[in-house]
Amino acid sequence: MIDIQNISKQFPGTTAVRDLSLQVNDGQIFGFLGPNGAGKSTTIKMITGILPIDKGFITINGSDITKNPLEAKQKIGYVPDRSDVFLRLKGIEYLNYIADVYKVPTEVRKDKIEYFTKKFGIYGALNDHILTYSHGMRQKVVICGVLLHDPDVWILDEPLTGLDPKSSYILKEMMREHADKGKTVFFSTHVLEVVEQLCDEVAIINNGHIEFLGNMTDMKREFKDDESLEKVFLELTQNE
Amino acid sequence: MNKTWNLIRVMLKMQFSMAGKSSGEKIGYFFLFIFIIPFSFLIYFAMDGIIGGLYEVLEPLDNQSFILGALFISMFGLFSFVSIGSIISSFYFAEDIEAFISLPYHPYQLMLGKSAAPFITLYITNAAVLGPGLLIYGFHSNGGILYFIYALLIWLVTPLIPFALTAIIIMYLMRFLNLSKNKDRIKIFAGLLMFIFIIGFNIVLRLDTGSNQLGENIGELFIERNALLEMITVLFPSAYLSSISLTQPDSFLGFIYLLILFALSTLVFFFYLTAGQKLYFKGVLGLSAGSKNKWNEKKIAKQIKQNSILYISWLREMKIMLRNPTFFTQIVVQSLVFPVLFIVIIMFDSGGGGFSAAGLNNMLARTDPKFTILAMLGFTVFALGINPASISSVSREGKSWFNHLYMPVKPETIILSKVLAAFTINLITLVVISIIAVGFAHISISIVVIWLILSMLTNWITSVIGISLDLYMPNMKWTDEREIFKGRMIGLLALAAEVVIFGLVILVLWKSSFITGLWPSSVTLFLLLLMFTISGHFLLKKMIQHRFFTLHI
Repeated sequence: MIDIQNISKQFPGTTAVRDLSLQVNDGQIFGFLGPNGAGKSTTIKMITGILPIDKGFITINGSDITKNPLEAKQKIGYVPDRSDVFLRLKGIEYLNYIADVYKVPTEVRKDKIEYFTKKFGIYGALNDHILTYSHGMRQKVVICGVLLHDPDVWILDEPLTGLDPKSSYILKEMMREHADKGKTVFFSTHVLEVVEQLCDEVAIINNGHIEFLGNMTDMKREFKDDESLEKVFLELTQNE
Repeated sequence: MNKTWNLIRVMLKMQFSMAGKSSGEKIGYFFLFIFIIPFSFLIYFAMDGIIGGLYEVLEPLDNQSFILGALFISMFGLFSFVSIGSIISSFYFAEDIEAFISLPYHPYQLMLGKSAAPFITLYITNAAVLGPGLLIYGFHSNGGILYFIYALLIWLVTPLIPFALTAIIIMYLMRFLNLSKNKDRIKIFAGLLMFIFIIGFNIVLRLDTGSNQLGENIGELFIERNALLEMITVLFPSAYLSSISLTQPDSFLGFIYLLILFALSTLVFFFYLTAGQKLYFKGVLGLSAGSKNKWNEKKIAKQIKQNSILYISWLREMKIMLRNPTFFTQIVVQSLVFPVLFIVIIMFDSGGGGFSAAGLNNMLARTDPKFTILAMLGFTVFALGINPASISSVSREGKSWFNHLYMPVKPETIILSKVLAAFTINLITLVVISIIAVGFAHISISIVVIWLILSMLTNWITSVIGISLDLYMPNMKWTDEREIFKGRMIGLLALAAEVVIFGLVILVLWKSSFITGLWPSSVTLFLLLLMFTISGHFLLKKMIQHRFFTLHI
């Protein structure tokens, strides 16, 4: 469970996130939507401990990300929006490194690396440097890395960008399976169809605060029944 | 033509723009410029010695044109050599090339755009070497105004032919050998080649002690081998034309040769454009595809095993430094340059009061071992202080720094792995110094062992200082790895801090009359260094607390 209470973040000359509160429960897939520059990435960076929080607090399954960062981070599996990292490592070296960081025992990691990389079709490329991978392959190797320690909370920043339809389908299936096991999936995206298909709950953020929070049924109740998510999104995020 | 010109302007702007550079970097460039001034005087006086010596010998025989011939041939070689690396990296390995390929440009237009920055950079070498060379020759031969006008015109066109020919050869090789599949290895090889070139150049310079004497010797060689030299000049028509034009600037022949030189340069330029149009895209397309390693399931399985976080983080640092060509050249090769140069100085300086093996041995036999250990420590501080492994530790991560922030690893562990990696790289330097100490300077084993123990602490302290400074003033926003090492004040600051700290200790011990002999001075040094190590640890801890989580903002 992710508990976000009244968080704010300021950068020189601008408030990126103001007084934002959210709760993402276990067993839920939570979609985080918003136009470019709305505060999505800043919020995700605060949840994962990349950015310090100016005001408020965030807990991951009871562990405060500011007070107990290592305990909280151990529970998170984070897929960043940039996958062009660790380029000089081979795929296998990267996965082994990540498994070491999250303390995955040798036998468990052997099985998982083989299982996930075969599922995403990158097993045969594990001995190559990540530098030689395509964007989609880099994304896949990062996703495989995140799955190795079976995290309680899965946070994905634009995870479907660059994935082929098959991998995209597999990832969506995995997100559903993960949530069905009673774990939490939190992801940001621009693809509205995916949100409609997949999410149990949705938040739309604009100018640093939440414009809408609820499930698809709530949304339909609040807005006209026949309105698509696209229309709702555009209506909520249009700037005066 | 307009389109090409616009492309060149954009590419130059991207290469040389100061936008986004911090004020620290700008100050760095300013100081670099200030440091170049005394260095250029050094080159000027060395060349004056050589050219003056040659002129004295050759002028009575009316053979002085060979000085210019030799100068132009050397410049041809130098320009070709310097161009190899810059052409390969600009034409083929620059990250932006793919973005330009999709734009509606002819191959020759893109090639011209890509040539602009390396070609302009060539004029730094041109200004530093050929410029003074032509001036000095002009002064010795009492050249008139016409000589200096011709010299300026020839100076302007000289880099063109070697640059264009080198580029054509490289484009041809890239087209047919498909070297691009191993682009990292080529870059690493180029770095090593540069190292060999620096050392080789130094050996050649040190084969003789005085530049005047060197000039005279070469002069004598020229008299004996006139025919050979003429033949060599014929192989370099541009050198031949330039030399004749400059030795007879007042004659009609001189003017005609100048015109022929211009015509030849224009011809080569058009040949260059044609070759670019035909060859450039053939080598550059498909570059980003990269190469694949052979699949080996057993090898993969072998690599999957649990390690401690500190070890795996250290291993990651080492792999990145060894695999990234820029890091390899700037860090690993650099750590070899200074100590190996020192070996060259000892081995090839045959006398004249410099550091020679025999002189050093005599000096060591007569002195208190305290001074030997202090001198060795001073040398070590200098050798380790200029090593960029530590001062680039944090900056090397660039925009990937955020990865350390969401992973459940203590900041102290990450930084410790970086200290250990810098420490390991510095061990290369220490090994080379040990070889110098035992093999060439014949310093006793006991002193070398004590020095090694003290050096380990010194190595740790210099690594901690470097990393603390890089945490304090990192360069995280680079787009090309070379920006981490170019125009930053941090290297000088680290060296200055180390010189102040260790310099004070060495000075006090050197002057003190109550601490003498090997053991008392070594124990004192050890205790002092231990104290610095502990203080350094606190400094680093403070720096981690203040900076680790705010570096990327």
